[in-house]
Amino acid sequence: MALLPILTLALALQGTTRTIAIDERLAADAGLRVGDRIVVASEPGGAGDTVIIAAITARTADPSEIARDEYRVRLHLDHLQQVIGYGDRVDRFAVATPDASATDRALDAINDVAFGFRAHRSQDVAIETSQTFRVVSRFHRAIGVITIVASAIFLLCILLLKVDERRRDVAALRLVGISRRTVLGAVVLEAAFIAFVGSLAGTGIGGLASAAVNAYYQAHYRTPLRFSIVTPDIVILAAVLSITLGIVAGTLAALRLVRARPLALLGR
Amino acid sequence: MTVHLHLALLSLARHRARTGLAVLGVAVAAAMLLDMVMLSSGMRESFGTLLESRGFSIRLAPRGTLPFDTEATIANASEIVAMLSRNPDVAAVSPVLGATVHVVDGARRSTAFALGVDVAVQGDYEVERGRDASSDDGFVANEEFVQATGVRLGDTLTLATAYSPQLRSYSGERRVVLTGIARFLYMSRGQSAVALPLTTLQAMGGAERRDRASLFMVGVRDGAIADTVQRWIEREIPRVDAISTREALARVDERLAYFRQMALILGGVSLLVGFLLVTTLVTVSVNQRVGEIAVQRAIGVSRSHVVQQIVVESLVISALGAALGLALGLVTARWLNAILASFPGLPTAIDFFLFQPRAAWTALVLLVLSGILAGVYPSWRAASLPIARTLREEAVA
Repeated sequence: MALLPILTLALALQGTTRTIAIDERLAADAGLRVGDRIVVASEPGGAGDTVIIAAITARTADPSEIARDEYRVRLHLDHLQQVIGYGDRVDRFAVATPDASATDRALDAINDVAFGFRAHRSQDVAIETSQTFRVVSRFHRAIGVITIVASAIFLLCILLLKVDERRRDVAALRLVGISRRTVLGAVVLEAAFIAFVGSLAGTGIGGLASAAVNAYYQAHYRTPLRFSIVTPDIVILAAVLSITLGIVAGTLAALRLVRARPLALLGR
Repeated sequence: MTVHLHLALLSLARHRARTGLAVLGVAVAAAMLLDMVMLSSGMRESFGTLLESRGFSIRLAPRGTLPFDTEATIANASEIVAMLSRNPDVAAVSPVLGATVHVVDGARRSTAFALGVDVAVQGDYEVERGRDASSDDGFVANEEFVQATGVRLGDTLTLATAYSPQLRSYSGERRVVLTGIARFLYMSRGQSAVALPLTTLQAMGGAERRDRASLFMVGVRDGAIADTVQRWIEREIPRVDAISTREALARVDERLAYFRQMALILGGVSLLVGFLLVTTLVTVSVNQRVGEIAVQRAIGVSRSHVVQQIVVESLVISALGAALGLALGLVTARWLNAILASFPGLPTAIDFFLFQPRAAWTALVLLVLSGILAGVYPSWRAASLPIARTLREEAVA
């Protein structure tokens, strides 16, 4: 019975202490758990406010957080305003609308009556703030172009060699009366088949590499963001490119072979 | 060696298309390799050079932050300057306050990033025209600011440190004269910037910015150890983070680890592609010349000569590809650098792809080594041919 006033006091104190949510990286790095009491302040060494950690939040797949080592702490709006001495002010409002036409109407209505601020579409804001990712994306595309050129030359060279290795077989086929056209078709078909099998193997290797990249960077940056995605478009591009190059290389090499005299191909 | 080179060139000239393609393939791989070697160290070197360019090797920022990463400021700036200056190892202390300023004058309305500096020791800009802002009502600006506002040297402008959108009114106004055009070392492309005397900007900011600074740059005397001074600062002023150039570079490294890792992977893949290409080409070339090689061996040419001939052949392809690739790499590096230079907030002086002779030598040495390795398997194959059986088979064929 004597404990009752103390318990009541503890519950009352618990009631007045505000709660916050922290992100999982902060929790892991600082060894914090739900229920821990910490002090939040607007500047290092400031008086601040003692709060209780009520939740630990997972990181979202937001690319803008990747290169930043910032921790995220979520407070109730009025609490944050009080801690940083911001008064009854906010940096922005997010307004939900049922559909695109309602967004347009809301945008016009707000901008017609607003004094001192403007409403923007979320999409426009995203475009404006995603400059970093557009630069990275352009860089990746440029690297991709160089890689495709290098792979194309490599493929062309290998297939030329491969076809050139068949000079004795081609000579034998021509000597037993097989037409140039048939020999050409067979060689080109073989080159296309090799390119097709190569592109299948390449897709498998690409998929494994992509999985390794995701596993590494997701662990490194502690984010669920997927860094590498093998889409059907990419697979189709790689396959079409390699088969086309295979056919081109096969045709070029085969034309050289079938135009030569069979005995010359045998070195006589 | 001359004989080997001559024979290798003759052998390569026999299949011009094939050799040309192989050299081109190695060139693209070499270009990529050079670019990736440049990328792996370029940003770090470039950033290090920029940080040290004005002789300041330690930066002080509010505890838990990086310079200008947040709007946090450090109180009692003059006291900190006096305290730091008392250390005999400290050569110079430059306090800097950052703020956004608004150009208030009618047609010239614009905003810019303002630096409040001690003009006698500042390390943030270099005056290109006119003179420094030595008086309280003077300021210098960069070309971007001049273009945005149409202001000219000697013009007077009203700058304000705060704008209330609700009341549409400015506060912290001050009439200032443009005394010089400067190049700001740490500003990004297209960013308007001005610099005013520190006391002027502090006064414009009112009580909130009185005697405050966002950053202190500390220069260390010749012979003194920056790390020792850094530790002393952190001990004496616990409310700041003292960041040495070495630490700043380590943090940049950490933030840009992605680019370094990508450079390492792509550089490795390029080297492997070049190696495979040369190995395949030379192996096929050896396979087609087994009879010829067997004849050479039969008439007394030693194994080591055959090996040398094949290795020289692969080296020639690698060397030609490398020479072409290094030139190509410089062109592609400029292209890639131009793309990454458009990163928002990146100082214009920073290069991701910085050409250094060391980078070119590294790429060249790696290519030469891969060229030698590429010749190992085909040359071993050529040297170990059974002479009599090969001659018989070739004769039958």
